Amino acid sequence: MADITIARVTDFAPGSRRVVRTGRVEIGVFNVDGKYFALPNVCAHQFGPLCEGVVTGTFIANGRTGWRRRWVHEGAILTCPWHSLEYDITTGRCLAYPAIKLRQYPVRVEDGYVVVSV
Amino acid sequence: MIDGPSTSGTRTTLNDVVVVDVDIHADDPPPALAPYCELPWRRSLELQGSLPSRYLSYGGYSPNLGLDPPFPGGPNARSTQTAAQMREELDAISVDAGIIFPDHLLLMAQLPNPDYAAALARAYNRWLLEKWLAAEPSLYGALVAAPQDPADAAREIEKYGKEAEVVAVYLPTSAVYPLWGHRKYDPIYAAAEAAGLPVMLHSVSAVFPVFPFNVEQFDTALARHTVAHTFAMMANLISMVTTGVPVRFPKLKICFTEAGVSWVPFIMWRLDKEYNESRREVPFLEDRPSTYIKQMYFSTQPVEEPDNPRHLAATIEVIGDDHILFASDWPHHDFDHPRHVFDLPLSLETKRRIMGGNALRLFGIPAPAKPARPRA
Repeated sequence: MADITIARVTDFAPGSRRVVRTGRVEIGVFNVDGKYFALPNVCAHQFGPLCEGVVTGTFIANGRTGWRRRWVHEGAILTCPWHSLEYDITTGRCLAYPAIKLRQYPVRVEDGYVVVSV
Repeated sequence: MIDGPSTSGTRTTLNDVVVVDVDIHADDPPPALAPYCELPWRRSLELQGSLPSRYLSYGGYSPNLGLDPPFPGGPNARSTQTAAQMREELDAISVDAGIIFPDHLLLMAQLPNPDYAAALARAYNRWLLEKWLAAEPSLYGALVAAPQDPADAAREIEKYGKEAEVVAVYLPTSAVYPLWGHRKYDPIYAAAEAAGLPVMLHSVSAVFPVFPFNVEQFDTALARHTVAHTFAMMANLISMVTTGVPVRFPKLKICFTEAGVSWVPFIMWRLDKEYNESRREVPFLEDRPSTYIKQMYFSTQPVEEPDNPRHLAATIEVIGDDHILFASDWPHHDFDHPRHVFDLPLSLETKRRIMGGNALRLFGIPAPAKPARPRA
């Protein structure tokens, strides 16, 4: 495991991201409502550059919503720029294929900097 | 043809095979075609450039009902504006040569005015040759044939058919009325056959009061997109076979794009079944319908993704690996990376055919030089 310093906390606002490369590994680091998450920049489908996709919310519909659509998780859903598969940034879970869960790299704040262990 | 894991120890990659992509898209908004279009239609294209539009949707040009409310996220609206941009993007996905189709004119078959439709096709063809095919040697093109004016479409084929970069004729298939088997289109087939150009049917997902009927009843784009392309291909293939297009034009090569491949065995087997008891309705056919379908060509994208990829390999075997053509559909939202087809459990020989060999032969394209690329 190697530590990578991503940015100053003060330069890495909620809703923003950084995509960094170390060796042959590319990762995306996201600030979702003040918490940091890091994922590989590779979609599990056709290996598209996942972390370059848009971050939005998404829909749910189930018995609790009366089977009506509800817009949820604003700011936590990452959509692959290639084929639009959705992932929950906070869990690494692929919404279309629940069995697919991306690796999550540990992120911590140290001396005012965001640091990822890769 | 279906292959097991490699035992040779050296992994073959996309860098080892020629990749010809038979379906890529050039963005053709009204302002791009305006300078190439005759009056009075040019005045409209200039005006349309200043009007609001959504993705692949200009009223009076690429009319689309636009049934769904837009939300942040969802499918991408990528487009490619220049030949240089296209070359760069194709390099990034390991494609050596490609055949260009339009973006907006995918929807042109529903335009009711034949003079306007024919003028758009002429403008597109001029623009295609000048801005794309002359600009980049690895890009080839399909001429647009306006179904609204078959005689004019035939003249376009005669005019440009000998250009080396023109390798096919595109038949707009979304909402075409009547279907492509109708005899009114015979001038197009005669011209394409004489020019040695394959015709390529290409649809798009949209809702119209023509075939495929009733897709407006689906309340999601997912549902409509599942069947829009495949139903259009099935309807037109059945129309062409049961009116005898392959018999009347025996040297004409017919190619179906952007509907995947899994519908093809279904149609072959269903038509053959019906032929048993109703042959007398199609007495011009000299053999079972599947005999003619096996002479047609089918492009892969959007290629199916079954749990077990061997089931897709078996489907390809039913159709025949010398009649399957790789297509990416770049830059559209549902494009396939070549690796996605290349990695199927097929023999290397079959992979070489599908990824490029069949297309080089069918379209008469010289084998492109393979540039050194990073590991694909």
